[in-house]
Amino acid sequence: MDTLIQAFGLVFAPEVMIAIFASAIYGLVVGSLPGLSATMATALLVPITFYLSPIAAIATIITASAMAIFSGDIPGCLLRIPGTPASAAYVDDAYAMTRKGEAETALGICLWFSALGGIAGTLSLMVLAPTLAEFALSFSTYENFWLAMLGLMCATLVARSSPIKAIAAMLLGLLITCIGIDNPGGVPRFTFGSTDLLGGIEVIPALVGVFALSEVMRSLTEREPPKLEHRKLGSILKGQIELTKKHPKQQVRGNIVGIIIGVLPGAGADMAAWVSYAMAKRFSKTPEKFGTGHPEGLIEAGASNNASLASGWVPALLFGIPGDTITAIAIGVLYMKGLNPGPTLFTEQASSMYAFYIIFLLGNIIMIPLGIILIRMASRVVGAPRSAVMPVIMVFCAVGAFATAGNNLFAVWCVAFFGCLGYVMDKNGYPVAAMVLGVVMGTMVEQSLVTSLIKSDGSILPFFSRPVSMVLAAMTITALLWPVFVWTWRRMQARRRVSMA
Amino acid sequence: MTPLNDRISGGAIATLGAIAFLYGSKLPPVPGQQVGPAAFPMVVGGLLVLCGLMIVLGVGRHFEEVAEADLASHTAPEYLEPLPAWRAWLALLPPALVVFYALASERLGFLLTAGIMVLIASLAFGARPKLAVPLALIAPFVINLIFLKLLRVPLPGGMLPFPW
Repeated sequence: MDTLIQAFGLVFAPEVMIAIFASAIYGLVVGSLPGLSATMATALLVPITFYLSPIAAIATIITASAMAIFSGDIPGCLLRIPGTPASAAYVDDAYAMTRKGEAETALGICLWFSALGGIAGTLSLMVLAPTLAEFALSFSTYENFWLAMLGLMCATLVARSSPIKAIAAMLLGLLITCIGIDNPGGVPRFTFGSTDLLGGIEVIPALVGVFALSEVMRSLTEREPPKLEHRKLGSILKGQIELTKKHPKQQVRGNIVGIIIGVLPGAGADMAAWVSYAMAKRFSKTPEKFGTGHPEGLIEAGASNNASLASGWVPALLFGIPGDTITAIAIGVLYMKGLNPGPTLFTEQASSMYAFYIIFLLGNIIMIPLGIILIRMASRVVGAPRSAVMPVIMVFCAVGAFATAGNNLFAVWCVAFFGCLGYVMDKNGYPVAAMVLGVVMGTMVEQSLVTSLIKSDGSILPFFSRPVSMVLAAMTITALLWPVFVWTWRRMQARRRVSMA
Repeated sequence: MTPLNDRISGGAIATLGAIAFLYGSKLPPVPGQQVGPAAFPMVVGGLLVLCGLMIVLGVGRHFEEVAEADLASHTAPEYLEPLPAWRAWLALLPPALVVFYALASERLGFLLTAGIMVLIASLAFGARPKLAVPLALIAPFVINLIFLKLLRVPLPGGMLPFPW
């Protein structure tokens, strides 16, 4: 009880409240602009969080990301252009509803079920994380190694691309963390005599480059989205209670799928929305209506992508393994703020953990009034010219990285380099998120691998003989071989279809 | 046949992996320990070579085709039409401007550097001078204000320091 009161004290400090409010507006605006993703919103926030208290810093990330995932639905509904990739799965249905004159209902569904999904995700975080923390306290380096491997493999599994390319991207990220002297022997690796490289590649400039600068680059090569007509909208929340009562199955299934996908390392809101939309269609009584302005898919996927956000924090807080790209950034901030991820966080910093839960709930509640305001102003916000927004973001990339790295210009070079790398990778079908996971987890993977090998005198036997590590190893190997199963299965299906025809 | 891009990128990855493997193998061991700083780069490098070769051979290409088709069916058709090829080269402009910041900000100062960056980028995005010029004048001031007053981070003053 004391810790709970303490947690309320932490959250309701003026600095934290201002941070939540300001980042809520920021997240809503950035998410609603086509081409700016929730991950980008978070990456650009990092330089700001550098100068905030730990709770306020995490609060900005939690609120901004939740808002951005919701507001990405707005241009999807009104323009058929997803504001964030997480809204891409159901733009067809949302836009079709708008065309039928049901824009209010479509936007209302997005807002209402986003908020409910976010709250469901938060509840899962509150239940899952402390339970798993107790279990995780007994883990040694062998289990940590397999856990990290499992995390990395999951990230490659869920990437919507070739699994080989995803693994290559992930390995590239691991290789990047080899740079510098922060390694088991303390010898300079891959520094080529440069003093800047001795300290290694900082995670934050890399993230800003990959997630923000490369988006600016991409949008320069794409055409400007069409202008949004101003339209009068009726009551946004009207009819949402009835829809909640009418479609409880879709909502609950969306929440659960979102939570599961959020917990899986590397898979975030985009994936949750795609899977949930497909599920809704698969189990619907009227699958033919999907894509023509049918609310079922919208409800399920909208409930899912916001639920995944909170549960993505479970592996992040417990093991330092990002649940999605947003928590990959958050882990960097946690380390920066001295809240090193690990099961002990829940015993030693219990009040901070409670504070995070409160912030999550608060964020999802204020989403409703702020979301309605944004929807009303949508024609002005979404219509902000790209030629004004993108240049400012670009300057922010440079100066933000510069400020977080202690006024070091090397960080600015890193931003430019990683911007190009992210752009080239994306154009060639290499999932950038997998590389980021490698960069975030590389040091941990190497440490747990090398310490384990030193403990076992170079033998790999203990990696497989301990009960928990055996299970984790089996799961990792399954994840590695999964694409082969999928491929064979699809092959057989195709052959059967041919022989039947 | 694997697309040309895959053969190039796969080859580059395999080469990078080979370099990492060789470089790693030359790292000095820690006395008295079997595994040291060399192990990890060698493992990662070796696996990269393997992945690179598989990409060159087109393993896993099938999954990409499925994902691409899925995405295309969900995107507005007018959004998928290709743009003129010169637009692709324009993508190099933002990183070039960021490098310009790294090179020039100490001498020119933040306001001037950022102003130039915003002006060029905004024009490249197709803004009319009526929008680009005021933006280039105002945006650097606002950003400087945020960093200086809210976050208390001094940005380089250079030739044109922040006036207050």
